[in-house]
Amino acid sequence: MVALSRTGEAAALESRFQRQRRRRLLFLSVLPFALALSALFAVFVGSLGPIGPGDPVKMTFSEAIDAILHSEGDWPADYHAIFWEVRIPRVLLAGLVGAALACAGTAMQAVFRNPMADPFIVGVSSGASLGAVVAGLLGMTAVAVIGQVISPLLAFTTALVTVFVVYSLGVVKGKVYVDTLLLSGVAVAAFLGAIVSFLIYFARQEYHRIIFWLLGSLSLASWTPVVVLAIAAGIGTLAVFLYSRDLNALLLGEETAHNLGTDPEALKTLVLVMAAVMTAAAVAFTGVIGFVGLIIPHMARLVVGADHRILVPAATMSGATFLIWADSLARTIIAPNELPVGIITALCGGPFFLYLLRRSRTRGGP
Amino acid sequence: MSVVVKQLSFSFGDKPVLKDISMDVGDGEFLGLMGPNGSGKTTLLRCVTNYLHPAAGSISVDGQPLESLSPVDIARTFAVVPQVSATDFTFTAYDIVMMGRIPHIGSRLASASKADIAAVAKAMERTNTTQFADRQFSELSGGERQRVVVARAIAQEPRTLLLDEPTVYLDISGQIEIMDLIRTLNRSQGITVVAVLHDINLASRYCDRIALLSEGRLDAIGPPDAVLTPEAIQGVYGVEVSVRRDPMTNAVYVMPRSPVAPVHRHGTRVHVLCGGGTGGVLMRSLHERGFSVSAGVLNVLDSDFESAKDMHLPVIAEAPFAPISPENHELNLEMIRESDSVVASPFPVGPGNLKNLEAARIALRLRKRFYLIRSRPELAVDFVGGAAESIIKELISSGAVVVGSVDEALSAIEVAGGTR
Repeated sequence: MVALSRTGEAAALESRFQRQRRRRLLFLSVLPFALALSALFAVFVGSLGPIGPGDPVKMTFSEAIDAILHSEGDWPADYHAIFWEVRIPRVLLAGLVGAALACAGTAMQAVFRNPMADPFIVGVSSGASLGAVVAGLLGMTAVAVIGQVISPLLAFTTALVTVFVVYSLGVVKGKVYVDTLLLSGVAVAAFLGAIVSFLIYFARQEYHRIIFWLLGSLSLASWTPVVVLAIAAGIGTLAVFLYSRDLNALLLGEETAHNLGTDPEALKTLVLVMAAVMTAAAVAFTGVIGFVGLIIPHMARLVVGADHRILVPAATMSGATFLIWADSLARTIIAPNELPVGIITALCGGPFFLYLLRRSRTRGGP
Repeated sequence: MSVVVKQLSFSFGDKPVLKDISMDVGDGEFLGLMGPNGSGKTTLLRCVTNYLHPAAGSISVDGQPLESLSPVDIARTFAVVPQVSATDFTFTAYDIVMMGRIPHIGSRLASASKADIAAVAKAMERTNTTQFADRQFSELSGGERQRVVVARAIAQEPRTLLLDEPTVYLDISGQIEIMDLIRTLNRSQGITVVAVLHDINLASRYCDRIALLSEGRLDAIGPPDAVLTPEAIQGVYGVEVSVRRDPMTNAVYVMPRSPVAPVHRHGTRVHVLCGGGTGGVLMRSLHERGFSVSAGVLNVLDSDFESAKDMHLPVIAEAPFAPISPENHELNLEMIRESDSVVASPFPVGPGNLKNLEAARIALRLRKRFYLIRSRPELAVDFVGGAAESIIKELISSGAVVVGSVDEALSAIEVAGGTR
């Protein structure tokens, strides 16, 4: 047969794509280093340490590293604790939240086959907001230890209940209808948003605290959220990554996904649950940090393409890196006060996203 | 491999889509699935791939019930080329074809092996899609996209290929290219093919058998020439067609005829003397205007004979290539006697059918209204050395109405018919 003897063309194609794959893997292997360096940098940024506004104390690098490594030395006694109890958990939490949101966003965009989907699309943020606002109004956030546990727990629970309601509305006879799911998500979010607004109206002295939470902030970081989120994000991102090839197939439609040997119904439910749990855990501790879960998957896709085997790890690490930088900015830009990080992510993310969109349009890609 | 469908029924809600379908697809067969829109073809394919679950009945693959197969087993058995393939995401054509390897990559952690890459490269080469391997799938034209999807199906290395209108976006060269490729896969590698096809002629040319669905039921199944009869097509699609055979491939082909609204038959009888394909338009036009048309004497195999037969007109038939027998000549005269008018098309006259001109002479003698169409007088119709021409002259001189075209003949007949 003529077609089978033209193997020169096939060989050229093979080697071309081996090269492309190596390029993508090279890019992927750069990301962990960028992430680690960003985290290291962020630990030294702030009101003490070698980088930042330098008020009240400016330390050298070696002093700062000494303060991290040794509990006692030639610096104020609480500096070691500040690094370990505030700075490091905060940077870790920023990384974990960024990773969780970016990975969940990637997963949601795949499940909904819609590049405009984000991690909050099934009602996580509105559910969590309701829980957090209720906790705030009941005065729980003011109570030291209980407040730090109860408020996130309530937010996490209401987030998952909301997701369950939205999911149930989108399921008919065991089949998940993503378009119904999307619209129920929008409707439920609007409804809960109204309740939240109503409650905020009566919040009075809790008002500032609640708004700060709603805008998203990492200022409540401690080791507990780091551990909880490490577990949630670890399981979630791993699950999404393991099913990344199935997600590729799902983007061609559910029937094609089925014909390629995947189980689209189980896949949609699994990925939705994983993304929702990750997002709920993140939101419960940090409030609603917008744009990360929408923009980072997009940016990553523009660089590495739509193949989720590369896209999921690329977006996850980029999300972590991005939020670490955004939080560093949030806590230094108007030092000694700090901005809600959600404002920074929206401020940076929006224009950058538009830039990428325009650039890819002029190049002809979607 | 064989697929056996037994008493399959399927409904969407309470709307039945498939009703009691039993059929089997043989190993290495090329089966065409045909039927009007909404007759259940796509639904049947979706049941075969276990994407939809039937309400009743069973499907088995090589004797094993479909439900006992895992999704991956099914994906290694069947590859599907759907009607529409689209995605908003930035996959390259290569990415799309590589997805065909998903059922063959065992572990979730494994990446594509050398064998996978080779299978993709080969599939793209065979479908002539290599040149746009790194272009975005969403930017390709409909036809290019269809070829990429066929490449994915080939890369999937299935035992059976299921195609849902694979040629729908393709121009005629693309249609032939894809169908030839699929037939090559079918014949050289023994891949069983089940294809939903809308183009009846394409189906009869490529398929071993055709299954005709109508309103969810299996109307007929068998070789194309047995299934694609004018009656079956009329019954299923509600369209009148003429069925012919391609003289070079022997495949049957159909030509749709414009649906004729039921005409009021006013009883005016017109007998047509024709032959050699000169009378088809005339007979059809008369037929559609409500005249009761008869024709004669025509040799079987003459396309005028086929036309008359397609319209179920009474026609006096002579054996192929045989001269008109005295008996048939007598029958012809009988029909002329019963007619109100007689029309002669400019048919070629040879020794075999000279008697038809003789019949015309008798028609005039019987004082029938006689019309002679001489559309192109320069056209040689006389193959009997002037004998025909002299009869025609005689006909004209003894009262034949000469008209220049079929249309003129029709208006002349209608005017005269109204005075009857």
